[in-house]
Amino acid sequence: MNRGNRILLSCVYWAFVLYVFVPLVLMIMMGFKDSKFIGFPIRSWTLDWYAGVFANTEVLATFGYSVAIAVLSTLISVAVGTWIAVLLEGRKFFGRAALFGLTILPALVPGIISAIAFRIYARMLGIEPGMGAIIWAHAVHNVPFVVLVVSARLSTMPKSQIEAARDLGADPIVAFLRITLPYLVPAILGASIFCLLLSFDDFVRSFFLGGYKPTLPVLIFAKLKSGMSPEINAIATVALVLTAAIGLWAERFTRRMNKES
Amino acid sequence: MSDDAAGRSFSKAEIAGQGERTFWGRLANWPLYRGFTAFLTASPRRQFVILAIFPLIWVLTQHLGPMLQMLRVSLTDAYPVAPGTEQHFTLQNYTRFFGDRIFWQPFFRTLIFAGVFTFCTLILTYPVAYFLARHVSRKNQVLMLLLLLIPFWVGEVVRTYAIMILLGNTGAVNMVLKWIGLIDRPIPFMYTSFSMGVGIVYLTALYMLLPLYSALEKLPKSYNEAAADLGAGAWTRFRRVTLPLTLEGISSGCTLVFLISTGFYATPVLLGGPSTTVFAETIAGFFHVAGDQWPTGAAFATIMFAAALVLTGIFQKLMNSLRKGDTK
Repeated sequence: MNRGNRILLSCVYWAFVLYVFVPLVLMIMMGFKDSKFIGFPIRSWTLDWYAGVFANTEVLATFGYSVAIAVLSTLISVAVGTWIAVLLEGRKFFGRAALFGLTILPALVPGIISAIAFRIYARMLGIEPGMGAIIWAHAVHNVPFVVLVVSARLSTMPKSQIEAARDLGADPIVAFLRITLPYLVPAILGASIFCLLLSFDDFVRSFFLGGYKPTLPVLIFAKLKSGMSPEINAIATVALVLTAAIGLWAERFTRRMNKES
Repeated sequence: MSDDAAGRSFSKAEIAGQGERTFWGRLANWPLYRGFTAFLTASPRRQFVILAIFPLIWVLTQHLGPMLQMLRVSLTDAYPVAPGTEQHFTLQNYTRFFGDRIFWQPFFRTLIFAGVFTFCTLILTYPVAYFLARHVSRKNQVLMLLLLLIPFWVGEVVRTYAIMILLGNTGAVNMVLKWIGLIDRPIPFMYTSFSMGVGIVYLTALYMLLPLYSALEKLPKSYNEAAADLGAGAWTRFRRVTLPLTLEGISSGCTLVFLISTGFYATPVLLGGPSTTVFAETIAGFFHVAGDQWPTGAAFATIMFAAALVLTGIFQKLMNSLRKGDTK
C-alpha cells in the first residue's frame, strides 16, 4: 500500500520535472533549426542563428544594458535591505510589525500594478523613463527579498558574539563591520544573486519604465509580437543559459559557505 | 558554527582596534571617527533613532509612496497636468469603471482566471511537494528541489515563449498527437484561456511548491504513524492529519500565487487572444495606446489591487477558521 503510493508519487514528481523542463528544451532545440519557420518537425540543424546573435551588436548591447541594470539595482537593494534587516532583527520597538509589513509590500503588489505605480511615482520625482528609472524600480522591488534572506540569517546569529566584541571595547560600528557583516556574507551573496536574476528577468517594470532602449526581456517581447523566429530562440537560449548558470553557481557557492561557517 | 569565526582568540585591543597599527586601530584612533561615534552612540535612544531613520524614510517614500501617489492620481482629472490648466479632484475615474460594462468583463475574468489557475497550481504541486517532503531522503531532497528550481530562474517572457512553441499549431503537442494518429488537423490551443492557463501555471508553480514543501517538511512523520496505529487508512490519514496541518502552507501559497497571477501582463498578451483580455491589458492600455489617461489607469489599478487584497483577505480568514475548527 505504502509502496504503491510511493511509486505513484515518484511518477508524479518526474512527470512534473518533465512538464517544467520539456518546454524549455523544445525552445532551445528550435534555435538550432535550419529554417525560418517555427514548428516541428526539425529536419535539418544549423548554428547560424547563434552566429547571428553574437554578430548582432544591438542584441549584444541589450545584454550589456540588462546586466548593468541588474548589477546597479542589486547594489542598492542589498545595501538598503541589509540595513532594514538589521533594524528589524534588533531590539523590539513600537511599530515593528507595521514596518515589516511596509517592507514586504513591494513584493506583494501584483506586477502590472507595481509597474504603473512606479511609473506614476517616477513622473512625480522627475525621473525620466530609461535606465535610471528601471534601476530605481528594480531596486525598490527587490528590497523585500533581501530583507527576508538577511533577517533569516541574522536571527540565527548568537547575540553573545556582539556582546563579546562590545565588552572588548568595540563601538557599535566596528562591531557591526567586524562581527555582524562577516556573519551575514553568505546571506548577502545569496540575496544578491537572487536580485540579479529578478532584475535581469523582469519584464513588466522594465517595459513600463524603460525609454527607447529595451532590456533583454523587453526586446524578446517586442520581437515576439512581430512574429516568431529561431533568432528569438537563440537570444532566449543565451539568456537562459546565463541565468541558469549563475543560479546554479550561486546555489553551490552559498551552500559551501553555509557549511564552512 | 561561526562562533569560531568571531571567537578566535581576539585580544581586547584587536577587536576594538586600539593602539594597533592596523586599519581598525588607525580608524578607532582617528579623532574625527571618535567624535562621530561618540555623537552616534551618546545614548541608546539616539543610536536607535539613527539606525531607524533611514529605513523609515525609505519604506515610507519608496514602498508606500508609489501606492499612495497612484491613489492620489486616481482621484484627479488630469495627470500629468498640462501647463496652463488646473488639476481637480474627482471620482469620475471610478464611476467610469462602475458605469461601463465593457470594463467589467476583463475585471471579473482576471479574478476568476487567477482563482482557477491558483487552484490548478495547488492540485498540481501538492503531490510533488508531498513526495519531496515525505518520501525522499534528506540528502536527495535538496538535489531534487534544486532540479525544479533551475527552470524557475528563467525569465517570464522566455518561459512564455517556450509555452508558445509547445502549444502552437505546429507545436510539439500537436505534432505528437498527429504522429500517434489521434488528430488530423492541429488543435488550436493558442490564444485561448487554455494556453494562458498553461502559461500562468507554468510561471507560478514554484511559488506554490515552496510554501507547501516547507509546511509538509515541518510536519512530524510520527503524527501519521500514530493515526495509522489508531486504524486510519491512507485517505483518512491524509484528510484528517496531513491536510489540516498543512493548511497554513496552502493558504500562503495560494495567496502568493493569486496575487502574482493577477499581475501578469506579458503572458496574457502573448498567449491569450481577444476573448481572454485580462484587466492588466486594460490598465496598460491607458498608459500606452489610448494616450495619456493616467488617472483612469491609476483608478483601475487601485480597484484591481483592492479587489485582490479583499479576496485574499477573505480567503485567509476562511482558512484560519477552518484551521481553528479542526483543532477543536
